[in-house]
Amino acid sequence: MGLRKQVMIVLARASCNELGRLLKNQGRSDMRPREGQARPAQPNKHFVWSRVGFVFRLVCSSRLRRGGREELYMWTWKALNQREDGSLRPSAFRRGVVSSRASSLQLSNAKEFISLHRGAINSLEIDSTEGEGRYLLSAASDGTVAVFDTHRPTSSSSSSSSSTSIAQHHPLFHLPRAHKFAISRALWYPIDTGLFITASFDHYVKLWDTNSTQVVLDYKLPAKVYGIAMSSIATSHSLIATATADVQVRLCDLASGAFAHTLSGHRDGVMSLEWSSSTEFVLITGGCDGAIRFWDIRRPGTFLLLDQSLSQLGTRPSLLPTPTPSNNESTSLPASSKSSSSTPILPAQKRRSHKKIQLKPPTQSSHPGMASSQNRATAHYGAVNGLRATADGFYLLSSGSDSRLRLWDIESGRNTLVNYEAMSIQTSKPIQLAVTPDSSLVFVPCMASLKAYDLWSGTTINTYRGHYESVNCCFFNAQDQELYTGSNDRQILVWSPSIPAATQIEEADSKGGITSIDQDNWSD
Amino acid sequence: MAESSQSKSGGKKRPRSESEGDPDADADAASLQSIQLENDLNFTDTAIALQMMKAQFPKLDKVVVRPFILRSQLYSSVKDRTQVDRDLESLKKEAVVRVFKLNTGKDDHAIMFMDDYLAQMENAVKRYDAKDKQLSDVFDWFKQYVIKSKTDVSISHPELCSLLSNGGDVTEKHVTLLINAGLLTCQLIDQNLYWFVIPNIGSILKGLSQGRKELLSLINRTKYKEMVLANLEKKRLRLSPLDIRFHIRDLIGSGLLKTVQSPIGLLIRLSRD
Repeated sequence: MGLRKQVMIVLARASCNELGRLLKNQGRSDMRPREGQARPAQPNKHFVWSRVGFVFRLVCSSRLRRGGREELYMWTWKALNQREDGSLRPSAFRRGVVSSRASSLQLSNAKEFISLHRGAINSLEIDSTEGEGRYLLSAASDGTVAVFDTHRPTSSSSSSSSSTSIAQHHPLFHLPRAHKFAISRALWYPIDTGLFITASFDHYVKLWDTNSTQVVLDYKLPAKVYGIAMSSIATSHSLIATATADVQVRLCDLASGAFAHTLSGHRDGVMSLEWSSSTEFVLITGGCDGAIRFWDIRRPGTFLLLDQSLSQLGTRPSLLPTPTPSNNESTSLPASSKSSSSTPILPAQKRRSHKKIQLKPPTQSSHPGMASSQNRATAHYGAVNGLRATADGFYLLSSGSDSRLRLWDIESGRNTLVNYEAMSIQTSKPIQLAVTPDSSLVFVPCMASLKAYDLWSGTTINTYRGHYESVNCCFFNAQDQELYTGSNDRQILVWSPSIPAATQIEEADSKGGITSIDQDNWSD
Repeated sequence: MAESSQSKSGGKKRPRSESEGDPDADADAASLQSIQLENDLNFTDTAIALQMMKAQFPKLDKVVVRPFILRSQLYSSVKDRTQVDRDLESLKKEAVVRVFKLNTGKDDHAIMFMDDYLAQMENAVKRYDAKDKQLSDVFDWFKQYVIKSKTDVSISHPELCSLLSNGGDVTEKHVTLLINAGLLTCQLIDQNLYWFVIPNIGSILKGLSQGRKELLSLINRTKYKEMVLANLEKKRLRLSPLDIRFHIRDLIGSGLLKTVQSPIGLLIRLSRD
């Protein structure tokens, strides 16, 4: 009994950090804006509208879904019993709690970010320092950048609809003129939060020092920049890969301040890119021509191109070699056989005018990293506007403007044919997908809502509706299991697991004093 | 397949029913054309759904087209979409069906049984009389070499030529003949890639996209953007030769419409976002 109570209290504290801190910080009003920075302007129409909008959203979402919460309670109780008698290990318990929290997200009624952006929010990122993912970096279409502290609120406001007050997080700093045009992506330096990098449509990629909010380095690119990426596991290089409307991918070196090299092979602009999460030298890019290419930056050329017609049935390739369809006349090309592994796909040889042509079997070219630019395999029928690799580095998710999300097995390079139910993805901008670290859920912005799908089966788990206009980016904070979304309506919304603290503290052994929200206090 | 092919045809279609429990197959057509599948011991949901929908394909008066099924219709009748994709992939590899990409804008694919496609191809070739008789050998080469070995939706120019040259000398004129007969189409984005197409399907595709728009606007005009399925099925679409059940299935599968159970029956509602 004692263990259960302790664990419940720990859960209660852990699940509503903001509330606990809020109670501690009540009355502390020393969060002044930094010197030298103008105070935010007087509440204007938009600000007031956003307040009204927030209360409206709160009222709509205050009718919590019974199903999600009750499942969570049942699971938690059973798991606690098992944990008590030792049949469930601590790590398994933690995994279960984390995954059940991740699948029960709702619009948070305890926390909100006051965003001062005047344009659509294009990028959200939490820093990836060890153990503490705390600072949220957001970038918008009006050329502004802001950083929020997700752990410590700056003030609180009480709303009449609930007895708890909402912790408000104002930006720690807000740079009003970071770039001339829209910023498409802002990234933290992967090692610590001392630096951050922004990329914008004004053709510049800038490196900023966080403490002094000054530009340290900038790179001028030939076309507007759609995305940037830095590898978080890199130890031997510090390269920023940039995706622009130009067909070449340029790697900018932080250490020297110059361009390292360029990767060419795409036939149209590159919209999204991502470093591999398992090796520090592999870069994955998705282009407007619909192709996804894998580059090893130590060699020139693509070593793998994902083709949507090459597929495997199941999330891992089958162990037995499967029979290929009958091609007695011509030799089978690697594209039509299922049992080939990752041999480089070379172009068909030019045809000769013999009577019986045998297509030359694909020869290894001069070195294994070279794949042709004539390979026209496409991964999507439109532009590839979002890429995300799973944390274990085995699978890649790609979203395209043909409104499909595809799951690729990286090792075999094949389409796993998992079908994510109907979605409509906006076509003009790159979007930011999010995957939970245990690879169970994927969050996809679909027009004005955000959908959560089960990664392996493709079924819709949840639809999160709260934004008024198209959602552009989302970020899953694995520490607290919260989801942050940014959209064209200039808001950053927080989605947190729907376990209010007060119902957790209610215990079986408390005879009097029911403190849960949805139980009443009437005497019988 | 034997059991369901003996059951009565017609009956009410339930858009989201489990396909195995819905005995709608037309006895004669299905049993004749599906000898291959009848001899199978296991059936997949997808295969049965395909047979069922092929039997329900509307009879068109102006154009003669063999039945084809849209991919979104499959999604609406079988619950697990990933399984549909995988089954379709294995059916494609076994050359039981053929998948074509349609050019109605979105990610549309049409599925046609191989025998139907070959029959349709014969009709098209017969109707198109080639000026130069020597060139018309290309149709046989196409059928024998290309269709059998290439199961994708598209083919590149060098590959096409090399596969065709297994039959004989291939020149550009042969490829032009194939395009003129309606068996191949050039892709807009890439000159070197050809799509496979179902010949003589142009007017039906136009009817498909117009019928979709008309059905969506029909539901959009109602006060609550929903309609009872029974009433909806009685309506006729002006602009499309295909019947309304075809379009309803297609739109449910692509997510623009959704079905809701209600005390009156099944409602079709426009899905927001």
